[in-house]
Amino acid sequence: MKIHKLRITAGIAVAALLIGAALAEQRLGSYTTQNTGKIVQAKPAALAEDSEYEMASLPSFDAELANGAGRAETQIYCGTCHTPRYITMQPPLPAATWEAEIQKMVKAFGAQIPQADAQKIAQYLHEHYTPETRQR
Amino acid sequence: MSRKDSKQTALISRRSWCRAAGAVAGGLAISPTIPSLGVNSQEPGATATLPTFTGPSANSYWSAVGPIVSEPQKAPLILLTDRPVQLETPRNYFATAFTPNEAFYVRWHLDRIPNAVDLRTWRLHVEGNVASPQAFSFGDLLRKFKAETVAAVNQCSGNSRSRLQPRVPGGQWGNGAMGNARWTGVKLRDILSAAGMKSGSVQVQLQGLEQGEGPEGLGSKYFLKSLDLENSVMDECIVAYAMNGEPLPLLNGFPVRLIVPGYFATYWMKCLTWIRVLDKPDENFWMKTGYRVPDTPRGTTRPEAMKAGGVKTVPIGRMPVRSFLVTPDGSAKIPAGMSVNLRGIAFSGYGRVTKVEISDDGLKTWKIAQLGEDFGAYSFRTWEFAWAPRTPGKYSVAVRATDEKGNVQPDETVWNPGGYLWNRIERQEFVAGNAE
Repeated sequence: MKIHKLRITAGIAVAALLIGAALAEQRLGSYTTQNTGKIVQAKPAALAEDSEYEMASLPSFDAELANGAGRAETQIYCGTCHTPRYITMQPPLPAATWEAEIQKMVKAFGAQIPQADAQKIAQYLHEHYTPETRQR
Repeated sequence: MSRKDSKQTALISRRSWCRAAGAVAGGLAISPTIPSLGVNSQEPGATATLPTFTGPSANSYWSAVGPIVSEPQKAPLILLTDRPVQLETPRNYFATAFTPNEAFYVRWHLDRIPNAVDLRTWRLHVEGNVASPQAFSFGDLLRKFKAETVAAVNQCSGNSRSRLQPRVPGGQWGNGAMGNARWTGVKLRDILSAAGMKSGSVQVQLQGLEQGEGPEGLGSKYFLKSLDLENSVMDECIVAYAMNGEPLPLLNGFPVRLIVPGYFATYWMKCLTWIRVLDKPDENFWMKTGYRVPDTPRGTTRPEAMKAGGVKTVPIGRMPVRSFLVTPDGSAKIPAGMSVNLRGIAFSGYGRVTKVEISDDGLKTWKIAQLGEDFGAYSFRTWEFAWAPRTPGKYSVAVRATDEKGNVQPDETVWNPGGYLWNRIERQEFVAGNAE
């Protein structure tokens, strides 16, 4: 009786292992809690029969600028015309290229950046966004 | 957060995960079959996400590496920047000849993008060196002119900019800053005739509703582009009020957008509101400094030549021939011996695509792909090719197109400081698995 019970248990265990092996091959039901970032659906807008054609406000997404001296100046002056994502989107760029970008903003586009702050911004970009320094 | 801080956070979160896992294991006595179901502390089936940036080497992914976001009137698209808005169309939308409006890529230069247009007050102005300045309402454009439709590819000058070596600043597009649509509207020539151009006219300047924060007279205030009146493309330009038979999304230029078939999108002014006839060439920033390419074969040069100076530049113009393998995208293995249908698109700003070829032996031999329906000289042309990897292994499949002018897509890279005109032969890696 006792032996018989053991055999059954062993049989179930072997069957479970075989099923487990088969499942492993096909990887059924693999779930992860990672990467569950979601995109919400927009509610349809209520439309009026007038001559105005509009869209909702454009979303503004956070772009994380690296911490460090010059971050505030970069956010304020560069952020006048564009999101800081214009910086984080770039590949790591040599210091001279960042320098040229700042000069383009000031000279070609008329950005009102005092000389001392422009230097702080350049220093900040060199410290965090060149091939040697960029971390994220 | 400093690098050290983020490392510590990662350590702490890993520890707390192990603690939680330990508690669960201790309390519930997990059966040995559970790990084979993929539920274990390693999470082996987790999708790894793309890096937040690429470089200094070339971006190796088909698309830009930004997150996917929702914007008004648009399907989820790849975010480059949110102010001004730049969004890339994901690869899967290029499996068909026409790109849906809601998936069409978006690129603005200045941050004051119109959120609303009131058609009661909006007018399309024709002014400058004309006999009788005009102001057409949207209804005028619908009723007073003959409607014309053209299928045409709109591609950003900087599409695929993230491929360049060395990398250049600018929108770091993958391949998705392009789209094809049926554009319906009024011929630009008909609109100009209504105003009557005076003698001495040389260019038409285009201005939309977009504005920036910069001072008057600079490129940061207005985005302005001009076309030479003697350019033959003038006869093909359409002021479009419909895109794939529907109103344009605001982000793609409602109420009307200029269509310049064969030309890069920089001339396709969105929310077109002022057509200005000029009696001398436009010298504004966006013509004199921006969107210029070296006056060399394929517009390519090297950083050293730019630094040395003396590289003559010209305004960017027609789009060089390109082709793309869209699907399958290489993200899943193909069993060896199984034939799969490779599909994609091709186009050229110089005329009809006449041939698309495939190579799976490192460009040594080429096989002809079957072309899809011809929607006109400036449309995407779809192609397909039945391809079977014979044995398990890694494969690189290249695709190249030829247009009716005999332009063949080259395998040489392109480099210029603006990051324009990339059209190198594309490759897709495939992994064939064992079918036995």
